[in-house]
Amino acid sequence: MIPADRGRLRRRAPLLAVDVVGVLHVVGTLIAYLSLATLVPAGVALGYGESPWPFLAAGAIAGGVGGGVMLLTRGDHRLGIREGFLVVALTWLVAAALAAMPYAFSGNPQLDGLVDSYFEGMSGFSTTGGSIVTNVEELPRGLAMWRQFTQWLGGIGIIVLALAVLPRLRVGGRQLLEHEMPGPEIESLSTRIRDTARRVWILYVALTALLFVILLGLGLSGVDEEMTPFQAIAHAFTTIPTAGFSTKSNSMEAFAPATQWVVILFMVLGGINFALMYRALVRRQPRVAARDEEFRLYLALLVLGAAVLIAEVWTEDVLPGTEALRAATFTAVSTMTTTGFSVADYNTWPALALMTIVGLMFIGGSAGSTSGSVKVVRHVLLGKILRREIDQTLHPEIVLPVRLNRAVVDERTLRAVSSFILLYIGIFVVGALVLAVDAARTGLDLSTIDAVSVSASMLSNVGPAFGIGGPLGSFEPFSDFSTLVMIGLMWLGRLEIIPIVVLLSRHYWRNA
Amino acid sequence: MKIFVIGAGQVGATIVQALHDEHELTVIDVDEERLAAISQRYDVHTFEGNGASRRVLTAAGITAADLLIACTSRDETNIVAAMISKACSRRTTTIVRTTNPEYLEVWREGQLDVDFIVSSEVETAYAILRTVGVPSARQTDVFADGQVQMVEFDLTASADPSIIGEPLREARTPPDSRIAAIIRGDEVVIPGGAETLQPGDRIVVIGSPHAAQAWGNLISPGTGKVRDVVIFGSGRAGTAVARLLLEQGINVRLIEASRERARVVAAELPNARVYNATGFDPDFLERERIADAQVAIFAMRDDLKNHFAATLAKVHGARFTVAIVHDAPSQEVFEHAGVDVTVNPRQITAEEIVRFAHDPRTQQVVMLEGDRFEVLDLTTQRDSEYVGLRFKDMPIRGALIGAIVRDGKAVFPRGDEVLRPGDRVIVFTESQRVAEVEKAL
Repeated sequence: MIPADRGRLRRRAPLLAVDVVGVLHVVGTLIAYLSLATLVPAGVALGYGESPWPFLAAGAIAGGVGGGVMLLTRGDHRLGIREGFLVVALTWLVAAALAAMPYAFSGNPQLDGLVDSYFEGMSGFSTTGGSIVTNVEELPRGLAMWRQFTQWLGGIGIIVLALAVLPRLRVGGRQLLEHEMPGPEIESLSTRIRDTARRVWILYVALTALLFVILLGLGLSGVDEEMTPFQAIAHAFTTIPTAGFSTKSNSMEAFAPATQWVVILFMVLGGINFALMYRALVRRQPRVAARDEEFRLYLALLVLGAAVLIAEVWTEDVLPGTEALRAATFTAVSTMTTTGFSVADYNTWPALALMTIVGLMFIGGSAGSTSGSVKVVRHVLLGKILRREIDQTLHPEIVLPVRLNRAVVDERTLRAVSSFILLYIGIFVVGALVLAVDAARTGLDLSTIDAVSVSASMLSNVGPAFGIGGPLGSFEPFSDFSTLVMIGLMWLGRLEIIPIVVLLSRHYWRNA
Repeated sequence: MKIFVIGAGQVGATIVQALHDEHELTVIDVDEERLAAISQRYDVHTFEGNGASRRVLTAAGITAADLLIACTSRDETNIVAAMISKACSRRTTTIVRTTNPEYLEVWREGQLDVDFIVSSEVETAYAILRTVGVPSARQTDVFADGQVQMVEFDLTASADPSIIGEPLREARTPPDSRIAAIIRGDEVVIPGGAETLQPGDRIVVIGSPHAAQAWGNLISPGTGKVRDVVIFGSGRAGTAVARLLLEQGINVRLIEASRERARVVAAELPNARVYNATGFDPDFLERERIADAQVAIFAMRDDLKNHFAATLAKVHGARFTVAIVHDAPSQEVFEHAGVDVTVNPRQITAEEIVRFAHDPRTQQVVMLEGDRFEVLDLTTQRDSEYVGLRFKDMPIRGALIGAIVRDGKAVFPRGDEVLRPGDRVIVFTESQRVAEVEKAL
């Protein structure tokens, strides 16, 4: 035998089947670029005569570490489907840490504690909107704007942003996008994934700008005296991404009814599939949207959810007439689109209304939108799967393809939808249990429905829950352990579970 | 006429048999033996070679041909042969046989330079629909991809009383349909609103499939329509039949043995119920109550399987069975086995091609009452005197427009609808007025 061959045979198989170095390279690159985002709040801080250093320091550290990793891991990498999962999972963990640094560095008493800061960071990038801040109006302007800005960046996705603006990521792109863009399948607007990402971002920026102009107009025209330019930009940043951080401690309740109606409209827009919106608005194919099964059910569920809440609030006489109408509609839309703004403290609402709100948390917006949760399209498909299952019980030989918008959905996707929903419910239940047990351990005042609502709200990236975590409350009283659990739930919810769960499989890491 | 026939299979042979007396035939095929068999029986010229080759066609003398019939079992060969023939001489009329209904569609949209195209599958489907479509009708025919039906009924005293004796404008006749003619002994009336129907009349109705069924119900209440048809086998023929029946609003169950094919068909026909089963399993037939179907159609590719399945279905109580046969001898066997109707796609295709070869007016679609009446399928020209007229203003001259096909959709004209150039019209007329009607439109 030729010695060279023997040498090749003797060479050890790589320890891991995943190119971790390559993954680190991509994550480092992403974070290095993302660190530039800290310049925005630094500018705001300077403008208001506050210290820009927390932001500059965070930016410098993230840029330095990210850039360092990027340089150290240069070289030839095998980046495929497997690596994509790890890139996405890690990027979001590290991005949340980047978001948390300015909070930790600021030394603000409302944001002390590393875990609490990290919670705020994850709640920001994952567009959840739950906060540990008890009175946001006392925060420095720069810090407040950083919270809003992280939500805007996280809304459509960090990687989508990177694909759209960065020159080259050295990864296929499509896989990454699929892990990050919510929904079972992404709809291409173009043959090149980069163009799709770019179009989605243009639409995202345009909608944000439009909302800003409208809010500014409401403020300047005197319709809403609270709506200063600062507030207008802050809320434009967190409405379209269906995120929910506010710079007012009583959230949207601080603003005039007209403002609230405008925000309702834009939350609804944020929950629509962006590819569909792009086709309807930019390519002028409104019929595509009108025929889309998910879109129709999405609107129907919004109307139904609002109607049920209105009826419940009305019959129990919680609020007077028009106020009930507005508050209930706002709450239904805000919850179902997983935004999490509030106009009323629904902790005082009847139990039936609370159950409705928890139910809405499990619906979510459309696939390919900025909202979280299960998403309407999965409900559509699940319904069809169940109907088929019943038919097949009666007629074992029948062949029934499941269709969505007339096209046949392949069986793998259907299986993925079923297992996603099972995992989703499983994680929700475990989350609620752990939170309840931990609350009992630490003596936290958390009722069963509160624990259930917190778990659902975190996993669905809604934000506020019931009880202490309610619209006017804060997640500050939770123990560090519970806070970590909630961080995990937000992370899982934002990335739609699968990219993270696969990392737990032994077969992910090894070839054998 | 000099006629070239490409393909000497079953279809080719049937065509040769029908045309060899009157015309000068040249038969081209790659198979020497088939050609020998044909030249032994008929006085025709044979030429061995690939009909889709220009060298072969010119060597056989294609430029002198008046008509080219490309009827091999391969669509692409047929189309290429027709294309080459057109390129060699424009004046040669071309007929192409296809097994793929899509080519039919493309041709209808004018994107295939062929004069006439015959799809065995579609012709077979029409033939089956004619036998099962409206049970109470004397004769049924379909036009415009099944969107328009013409049905002939005999009115008896058992007809729904609401349509007997009432002036037509007041009678509650099904929407989207018109009575094209009332035949009363020797007299033929193209009815106006004041006309009444009497028992003993024979009427010709043109309308939507839905309306045709409704008429069937009015004419003989209780017969009902065919609602439930089971088709064994979902090859191209089975699928084409299923598609046409579904368009008529008939429920279709398809039984397909191949899992893959079953999936494809289920995806293609959302309204059909597709079962992945062989059709040879008595348990399955019982469980799915196959015998409850009014009609069972056997469209598998193998005559032996069709025979077995049909017999089994009969044993389990199937009421009316239709079998698609592929080999001529099978016909006898099926009839002996008690299958109610047999349909031979190759035979039908050959007949359709021969009909066209005899009389190349594609417009003429159906003859009624011997040959006293015809139903024409014409396209309105820009300079027609009728264009721009409202239907209620059109003079009645022994002809009636039963339906128009506009942008691929059938419209059943009301009084104030206006005829536009380019409309495809389904016209009922007396045979002696055909030329007049064609000219007017």
